[in-house]
Amino acid sequence: MSTEPADPGGDPPEGPVRWAPLVSALGGVRRVVDGVLAALCLVVFTALVIIVSWQVFTREVLNYSAPWTEEAARYTFVVLALVAAAYVFSERGHIAVEMLVEKFPARGQLVMGLVIEAIVIFFTAFVFVWGGWRIALNAWAQHLSTLPLTVGQVYLVMPVAGVLIIFYSVYHVVGILAGVESATPEFDENAEAI
Amino acid sequence: MDTTVLVATIVLVGGMALFIAMGLPVAYAMGLPSALAIVILLSWDGAALTSAQRILAGSNSFPLLAIPFFILAGGLMNTGGIAQRLIDLALVVSGRLPASLAQTTVVANAMFGTVSGASVAAAAAVGTVLNPPMRQAGYDPKFSAMVNAVSSPAGMLLPPSNTFIVYSLVSGTSIAALFMAGVGPGLLWALVCVIMVALYARKHPELKGTGERPTVGQAALVLLRALPALLMIVVVIGGILAGIFTATESAVIAVLYCLLLGLAQRTLPVRSLPGVLLEASKVTGIIMLLIGMSGVLGWVLSFARLPQLVAESMLGLTENRVVIVLIIMVVLLLAGTVMDPTPAILIFTPIFLPVVTELGISPIHFGAMMVFNMCLGNISPPIGNNLFVAARVGEVRLEGLISKLWPFFWALVVALFVVAFVPQLSVWLPTTLGLMDAAP
Amino acid sequence: GGSGDAAGSGDGKTMKLALNQTEDHPSFIALEAFGEELSEATDGRWDIEVYPNATLGAQDETIQLVSDGSIDLSIVSAPQLENLNKDFVVFSLPTVFDSVDTQMSTINDMDVVGDVYASLEDSHKFTVVGGITQGARSFYTKDGAVTTPADMQGLKVRVQESPVFISMMEALGASPTPMAFGEVYTGLQSGVIDGAENNEVSYFTQKHFEVAPYFSYSRHLIGADFLIAGTPVLESMSEEDRAAFDEAWQNTWKYHTELWNEATEEAITEAEAGGATFTEVDAQAFADALSPLIDQFVTTDTQRALYDGIKGAAE
Ligand code: NA
Ligand code: NA
Repeated sequence: MSTEPADPGGDPPEGPVRWAPLVSALGGVRRVVDGVLAALCLVVFTALVIIVSWQVFTREVLNYSAPWTEEAARYTFVVLALVAAAYVFSERGHIAVEMLVEKFPARGQLVMGLVIEAIVIFFTAFVFVWGGWRIALNAWAQHLSTLPLTVGQVYLVMPVAGVLIIFYSVYHVVGILAGVESATPEFDENAEAI
Repeated sequence: MDTTVLVATIVLVGGMALFIAMGLPVAYAMGLPSALAIVILLSWDGAALTSAQRILAGSNSFPLLAIPFFILAGGLMNTGGIAQRLIDLALVVSGRLPASLAQTTVVANAMFGTVSGASVAAAAAVGTVLNPPMRQAGYDPKFSAMVNAVSSPAGMLLPPSNTFIVYSLVSGTSIAALFMAGVGPGLLWALVCVIMVALYARKHPELKGTGERPTVGQAALVLLRALPALLMIVVVIGGILAGIFTATESAVIAVLYCLLLGLAQRTLPVRSLPGVLLEASKVTGIIMLLIGMSGVLGWVLSFARLPQLVAESMLGLTENRVVIVLIIMVVLLLAGTVMDPTPAILIFTPIFLPVVTELGISPIHFGAMMVFNMCLGNISPPIGNNLFVAARVGEVRLEGLISKLWPFFWALVVALFVVAFVPQLSVWLPTTLGLMDAAP
Repeated sequence: GGSGDAAGSGDGKTMKLALNQTEDHPSFIALEAFGEELSEATDGRWDIEVYPNATLGAQDETIQLVSDGSIDLSIVSAPQLENLNKDFVVFSLPTVFDSVDTQMSTINDMDVVGDVYASLEDSHKFTVVGGITQGARSFYTKDGAVTTPADMQGLKVRVQESPVFISMMEALGASPTPMAFGEVYTGLQSGVIDGAENNEVSYFTQKHFEVAPYFSYSRHLIGADFLIAGTPVLESMSEEDRAAFDEAWQNTWKYHTELWNEATEEAITEAEAGGATFTEVDAQAFADALSPLIDQFVTTDTQRALYDGIKGAAE
């Protein structure tokens, strides 16, 4: 922690970097995953705006309500929420109270950073991947009322998001151990808007 | 309480405290102990499936769609220059008062809050524009940053407000009624800030008004430029009241309005749109993960019937309404020192709402108290988003800002108790508009 | 308390029942009585704890929880089951039942409904135990009563997201409008929608009469709620306890119907006192307009057999 913490999105800093090939390979994968998730966020969010606008437009202007818009909006929102939540893990951007940990000595912060990532991996595997997979199977034959899809098919987004969150956590663990990332996340601008 | 439930409760409460203190993302610090409590009450299988289902169910809600849309509208407003125009107008409105730039900060934050769903965006925009001229005019930068911090939460109370939307989710009350219930307390918040600035100005006669009396022509031009932004309030609120769209749909109308306005005025380049959308997606992801995890918490609380236990034991202590409201408000103020409004509302509403409804307090009025309290949480040290942002855009240290905070903070605590014990302040407007029953 | 571990052992447990109604609703009161009777009849081996207000989840979610065994019982409406097995659509078609009484005796008659009630046991591990009534549903509107389908032309009417409801509105010439239930009050008040449809009890308890004071007795459909139970839980009951469970259920739906009729009378009186008017409609005109829906939705052999069974049992 004596070195300046790196921006997780930027290039690795100067100084001793362990496992350079692994770090750079993981970094490459992360850029691809980031790109895919960002593109998904843009597409899904835009779809959401269009669906709800269409709902108002058909009802008020065409005087006919498309029956599928409400259900479509809800399940599109489910997808957006999970994809975006996974994407935020790329920057370790979820709100956390770091007041106490920041008072720890460098070594303590390092250990705590690793413990936190381990807990994230455990919980994500338990609930997002395993629980998400089981709920998707459970609801596989449960049809949506107005769309040719089943609830289970939509729910598949959860185990997929879980796998990506675990990937990001592994990436951060390697980054912390290799010395290219700080043990605690940087002050994050996303959290400000809440 | 049987042993299983007792163990589950200890794991739940102890786990949450430990994980939050450790610095685990708050969403996970809520979700993990809740899932473990379900493991104790049910099974590993049951906990995995139930937790996953509650997280999915958290965003499977049409009314909550207003959250991403209001966030996106806010992003479009900032990028498209609407914020700047509102600040210009605030300067014309309050420019000749004593300590006019400080008063302008308050008015600008209130105006910006009226068109935006979140309050921190207001602090960032207003502080960036007004703090430099305040420094030039001889204001203590710590004071300038502090005024910006304390006045910005008014936007969480004035409609639209994402915080009220979150409260409506857990309380099952009407969003439209809650929006209107926030108007009185929101104006009170701004008024308290105006009064406190005026008192400060009396002790600091050197902080005059800007002196520049704008000509009628200048004032008209500023008003004209701000008019489209102000018109958005008319379109959004008017459209709801006229039955053209619902409160939820109004959020997407706000998005379209800001988008078309920015494109028409050429202040919002098309190439900036992906960035705005992506930022709004991230904030949505953060909030919805919190809401999803609070769904896991809410489920296990219900399953173990803990809110009923809390309600019964609180009502067993005393049935004095004043005492119970006082206790709840103090607990929330303490929680607010370290917690963000969204998780705090999600955790505490299911526990306290049954208690206060038992005492005949309307859920709408309690929502107003709760959000006002959470606004104080946003400016109470050590953790408060509005403090952080205001200090940063004001280029002062957090401790410096906090050293100037206390008179304003305690004045707003007094205002909190006015909101808590004068229900008319919150419920008069929604009742008059027919959005809630006359009887509490 | 005391949950979880007893399933399969045959010595009983307190079953958790999810309900999306409040504690003063006839369903809650009747189901509480169900638990008491069951507990008494089985010497406390089996009991039921009712969780009202949808605190354990929305209906479609509680189906998943029962199916998984996380909870034991839930009350769900026909359209939810329809999403799993299209045969259930027959229960929520217009004109299928003439009255609440024929509906109730039919949907708790295992000779008629036994097969379809058992149809989800293999795939989803739950059994439909029986039904309680949701009462006859009618239209209510902001501006004047609707006494013939012609009065409904072009009206924006909020409906549940179900193909039957959507087709029904289209058959009557109205515009079916999807809207979250919690937004209906303000939607009616501000005029986003012109009307909605429900039973008298919801019309009163949701305060919709304040903003849509014209209630027209179209009685276009008699709704049902179903009690579903985890199949492994039912199978873990001893024969004697299962018989007690079934008997207590028979008493429960009868008691519920009594409570429902009382609640309906009370709702009408209270809503009238609050300014609502209740108007009879041209019932034949509505029935004529809606009858094509039967052939539209009763398409398979099993659906036809169920439909004929219901119609036969009612005679
Ligand atoms: Na606002
Ligand atoms: Na705070």
